[in-house]
Amino acid sequence: MDNTTQERPHVIRHAKGKRPEFYETPGVDAAMSMIMVLASELSVVRDRLDSAERVAKASGLDLAAGIEALELDQDALEEREARRQDFMQRLFYLQLKDADEAAQSQTAEGFEATIHEIAQP
Amino acid sequence: MLNTFQQAAHPVLPTATADEASRQEFAKSFKGFIQSTLLPGLTPIYETRVSRAFEKANGRLPENRRDIRSVMIHDLYFQHYAMANRTAQELLWESVNGSVDRQLPELIEKAKALSATSKGELRIPEGFEPPRYVTALDIHCMPGGYCSEVTEDDVAVGALYDRGVYLYSMGYTGPNNDDMGRSVVNYLKRNMPDFKPKRILDMGCTVGHSTLPYKELFPEAEVWGIDVGGPCVRYAHARAAGMGLDVNFAQMNAEETTFADEEFDLVVSHILLHETSGKAMPRVFNEAFRVLKPGGLMIHADLPPFDLMDPFTQFILDNETWYNNEPFWGAMREMDQIDLAEKAGFDREAVRFDTAPMAVMEFAAAASGYSQDASEHVAERDFTAGEFAPGGGWEVLIAKKGEKQALAA
Repeated sequence: MDNTTQERPHVIRHAKGKRPEFYETPGVDAAMSMIMVLASELSVVRDRLDSAERVAKASGLDLAAGIEALELDQDALEEREARRQDFMQRLFYLQLKDADEAAQSQTAEGFEATIHEIAQP
Repeated sequence: MLNTFQQAAHPVLPTATADEASRQEFAKSFKGFIQSTLLPGLTPIYETRVSRAFEKANGRLPENRRDIRSVMIHDLYFQHYAMANRTAQELLWESVNGSVDRQLPELIEKAKALSATSKGELRIPEGFEPPRYVTALDIHCMPGGYCSEVTEDDVAVGALYDRGVYLYSMGYTGPNNDDMGRSVVNYLKRNMPDFKPKRILDMGCTVGHSTLPYKELFPEAEVWGIDVGGPCVRYAHARAAGMGLDVNFAQMNAEETTFADEEFDLVVSHILLHETSGKAMPRVFNEAFRVLKPGGLMIHADLPPFDLMDPFTQFILDNETWYNNEPFWGAMREMDQIDLAEKAGFDREAVRFDTAPMAVMEFAAAASGYSQDASEHVAERDFTAGEFAPGGGWEVLIAKKGEKQALAA
């Protein structure tokens, strides 16, 4: 980033006024806001792909039709399925962590006991 | 009916990259979805489990909007609805704010260059203090409010408002965001064809959306737009110039303008009153009366009073007070506007409410997305609380100053 960029003025990002909370469970308001921001970005990416298809078509390459007609070979099928499974593993990270903790008999009490134990002089 | 309304470009409107434009479209679509699809669900939710819960706890049914609110806020469907509304509003401003931030110095230079071409005056007094009711909270959650300046000759919040309010209204007010002003002018032309105002004052004009139709349709008139936001009037002046209209703009408080008595034939405001305060609103009426010539008209286009609606409708509308930083939204609807006008000096029989039909049909096929069908769809809806813009038309308060009233004072 060059100096001129750093010196540029910046707009105010937050509206003055305490934000109301809608849910009784702490954290859900923040989580819902994050979900909607992600939904917005997903929509942006979908728009961009649509633009890519349209620009390609205008240049004589019908990507959209090509995508619809594409026949997936064995390599492609495997690559996609692996990607989907990997994605879902990341998506369910906390649930899987929970199962792993159960398998290893890790508990909150044990966690605190460890901290306490290691801190002992 | 799919809403594909698109804002018309003009020289000082901030531009958007492809991704910024997509974020903005998403915010607009989300607002549309909430109003068309989530909002209707509130009625059955209220009529069944929520009113039953109230009755069980209180031994009676809810009677007013406060009763309804006291139980609705604990219902999960309502919580999701209210969260969605608030989040859509935040996404909307953020989607525009990022693009304004990216091009701010260039926008300021462009605004200066355009303003220099205008024959209209731009008046920004030294040391102007905006009133507390616009600075205490950022109204409708617009970061920075109307008055903040982050740099010299700033126009940032003006640009933010111009693009943001288009998304907020989902294009219902036309490609230039000017449906309210245009509708009032149409109303005057149709109902009072002999009324030809020579000097027109638009109070609380922000970036001049509603101001410009007055100049366009009364080209001989001297038109003034005033607002407490410096960046707003600067942007307004440049925007008008960019659209080829010489209109005067000034940073001024509508409670106490610097105009002399009886300078104007027509004093108007559009969605101003609900952003003032209990103390300021009567003063705005008094000031309008003072600067009007005998025989002149005062017209305020704003929110209809609560007494015209059932409690559930009131409750839905009042959500803006609680969740969108609109502190005066609910209270304003309880003000007796006829009474205020009378106290300002207007004869009671010369004050009335009427409906100015939406001008949106005039945009049909005139701009991208405004097909005949889509425009008709907006114009012919029934009024639904929680949707933007009434079907049919805008509620206007009209008061005529008596010919001899100035002498009686």
